[in-house]
Amino acid sequence: MAWEYYLVVMLVYLGTDLLAVWGLNLEFGVAGIANLAYIVVVAAGAYAYAIVTLGPSSGNGGFQTYIGGFTLPFPLALLVGAAAGALVGTLIGLTGLKRLRQDYQGVAMLVVSLMVTTIVSADIGLFNGTAGLALIPNPFSNLDPDTARWAYVALVAVCCLIGFVVLRRFTTGPMGRTLRAMRDDDTAASAAGKDVVRLRLVVQAVGGAFGGLSGALLAGFIGGWSPSAWAYIETLAFLSCIIVGGRGSDLGVSLGTLIIAVLLLQGVQFLPQIASSPGLSEDFGWIILGAATIAFIWFRPQGVLKERRPRYRGESPSKLPG
Amino acid sequence: MALAATGPLLEVDHLEKHYGGVRAVDGISFTVERGSITGLIGPNGAGKSTALAMIGGFVQPSGGRIRFDGVDITGMAMHARARIGLVRTFQMARVFGNLTTLENLLVAAPRQRGERAAGVVGGRRAWRSQEKELVSEAQAMLETFSMAQKANDLAGTLSGGQKRAVEIMRALMMQPKLLLLDEPMAGLSPSLSRHLEDVLLKLADGGLSLLLVEHELETVDKLCGKVVVMAQGKVLSEGRMSELRLSREVQDAYVIG
Amino acid sequence: MQLIIEAIGFGIATGAVIALGAVGFSVQFGISNILNITYGALMTLSAYIGLVLINHGINAWAALAISAVAVGAVSVIYHRILLAPLVRRGTRAIAMIIVTVSAGTILQYVIVAIAGPSSQSYGEQSGQTFHFLDLTLSFGQVTIIVLTAILMLALHLLLTRTTLGKAMRATSSNRTLARSCGIATSRISDIAWFISGCLCGAAGVALAITTVSFDFSLGALFLIPMIAAAVLGGIGQPYGAMLGGMIIGISSEVAAAVSNPNYKDVVAFVILIIVLLVRPRGLFGAAWSSRRLMEG
Ligand SMILES: Nc1ncnc2c1ncn2[C@@H]1O[C@H](COP(=O)(O)OP(=O)(O)O)[C@@H](O)[C@H]1O
Ligand SMILES: [Mg+2]
Repeated sequence: MAWEYYLVVMLVYLGTDLLAVWGLNLEFGVAGIANLAYIVVVAAGAYAYAIVTLGPSSGNGGFQTYIGGFTLPFPLALLVGAAAGALVGTLIGLTGLKRLRQDYQGVAMLVVSLMVTTIVSADIGLFNGTAGLALIPNPFSNLDPDTARWAYVALVAVCCLIGFVVLRRFTTGPMGRTLRAMRDDDTAASAAGKDVVRLRLVVQAVGGAFGGLSGALLAGFIGGWSPSAWAYIETLAFLSCIIVGGRGSDLGVSLGTLIIAVLLLQGVQFLPQIASSPGLSEDFGWIILGAATIAFIWFRPQGVLKERRPRYRGESPSKLPG
Repeated sequence: MALAATGPLLEVDHLEKHYGGVRAVDGISFTVERGSITGLIGPNGAGKSTALAMIGGFVQPSGGRIRFDGVDITGMAMHARARIGLVRTFQMARVFGNLTTLENLLVAAPRQRGERAAGVVGGRRAWRSQEKELVSEAQAMLETFSMAQKANDLAGTLSGGQKRAVEIMRALMMQPKLLLLDEPMAGLSPSLSRHLEDVLLKLADGGLSLLLVEHELETVDKLCGKVVVMAQGKVLSEGRMSELRLSREVQDAYVIG
Repeated sequence: MQLIIEAIGFGIATGAVIALGAVGFSVQFGISNILNITYGALMTLSAYIGLVLINHGINAWAALAISAVAVGAVSVIYHRILLAPLVRRGTRAIAMIIVTVSAGTILQYVIVAIAGPSSQSYGEQSGQTFHFLDLTLSFGQVTIIVLTAILMLALHLLLTRTTLGKAMRATSSNRTLARSCGIATSRISDIAWFISGCLCGAAGVALAITTVSFDFSLGALFLIPMIAAAVLGGIGQPYGAMLGGMIIGISSEVAAAVSNPNYKDVVAFVILIIVLLVRPRGLFGAAWSSRRLMEG
């Protein structure tokens, strides 16, 4: 049924968006790294998943070219995707080694994002250039289509569940506290004995793994992946979720992801009435995203759910932070 | 190690810092003995803050060497110095604004299990007991600085004097051997200043060494054994405050009341 | 060898356009301490305004002038109603970047919604070519090189010979000090944003003239060489940006000539990363600008 298919697509997108938003929130909201190249780690995960499941490049008549080419079982392929995200995230994090102003660092990362897109689009041998990769196997293709769809939803849900548990290990407790201290004032944090460079690279790796997993799950679901799926502004979509929801708050940014998704769906729905151009709904989505981001920074910079800190009465926190 | 523990705690040897043509610090040498409070005074622009920043590892020297506890630390990163007990505060108090006052102290505690890989993997169980101890330690410290009622306030909302206090408590949580303080009394009310003086004296009695940049000479007089006088990037002279007051040279460079 | 000489000629033309853009970007940063990513989308806007004018039979160079002034005005308004108030409320630099990226995205997709996503072209320019030593350049390229030289000279005279220019430089190096010396810094900002907006607009149309075709991503892609040039020259330093533009322009065209033309931007990118890691204040950045860019 059409609505059921629609629901499945929405749920898978929501789950993969959540993973990516959590990862970026760890980097940006919690640790204060303005990673404007975050979409690159998502892309790394997707491409990695693709080339370890597609088999050799000569398959299917060799109509697409790419490096590597293996046929790993899907749980392993998802792990490879996450690892690729972690690796690329760490590499991007190297641009932050120099103690530059945060906005300057953000611009450097933005340029990295533009650059990687240019290179991957130009080099056919890497991931088939602008055309991208197609026929990426769905892990449940041997089941009947309806079951396969819901199986994928379940897979994404399991990944989100595990992801959230892992995420909380980094955003709460002493680790979360230290990262937030670094975000608030990294000079004072190193004066307090924190190895800021190491912490940043760790965060970039962990955040990258979340993005990589998100990308791998997307690639497996859609079955294709090309540079148009990861233009630099896609990072803005994740940032919008974080700013709207509440920078630094895990629950806040999850809510923000939902809000943005609903906002976009609503916005797109009333579109066909104002124009007949088929691509317009997506363009309009970007306008909504940009406007929502600016509006929140202007009117409510702390977001819908403000970051909460544990309050202590006696020796243990009376409430866990959100 | 046994040998190292006998020499001065900090040895600054011909330390230099140039900014383009400006010789902010121009070859200074002095020592800080164990368990002492040493003062660093001089007119504005003398290079005191720059010297402190180099000792703390925030600024890389253009020349010279720094030894701490018998180890050459000239090229060591700031966080590594902090971990071996060389801790600084800033002239403009810096707090973690979106953490609570109590968290500001907790964050500075050394060797936290919850920060390490094992603690992150193991979760709450791995660090709960240590965290409990740290919380009571931090709460006790807030008591001694009479800031217990601010424990759960975000540090960004505190007054200037309170932020300064948070910074010093945070430094103390790190169990330092030598504390570098850059004008800690600036902007504090007279009563708070007296209070802080008492606290610092008590800490020194407990064996902590201090290197104190201060322009309030009464404070320097009261707290410091040895005083180093700087002007235009150089050390003019050093000695006890009472002797320095009589020195012609010092009086010329730095009008002493 | 001939190939390389030709590439150098092209490089000078490309460099001129990059310099135009980079100088404006740099002036904005100098005066307001904002890295304005919306700049790219404003270049795109200018290219489309130029397109409309040319389609109405207006000469390309007149279109360039009109678009430049229009984008200058838009820049002033943009800074006045959005950026300046946010800065006054103490919005952090990291959030300001997100604001300018968002505003750029909005503008870019408003352009798409109105003009459509397909490629556009200004059509055939005059087929006349110039030969100079071993170089062959089109009429458009030569005009843009000359135009850039004139604009840069004018900017130089403005900054060094007029009180306005001196006030701009004073505001740029220390805003608080400038204000306490009685300089009306907000009026100076307006003027600086107008001038830099004009440069942005001129660069947008110039870029559209020199490329075969363009679409809504024109400005976004141009951000790579432009930011590289501004950073290489020492961001906030107009003269540095001029030289940076030339270096980036020539080296990327030469690299494209001797290897794969798709990798033209890679040179700009590599230069940018090296500068950021080795000397973030750039070639001409003074100590104050490095202090401004480094944390702490
Ligand atoms: N980052 C810097 N760049 C250029 N000059 C500096 C810098 N930091 C300090 N200076 C200069 O070094 C000199 C000493 O400054 P400082 O150490 O702050 O003196 P003090 O703390 O004794 O007042 C001053 O002339 C100051 O202008
Ligand atoms: Mg000072």
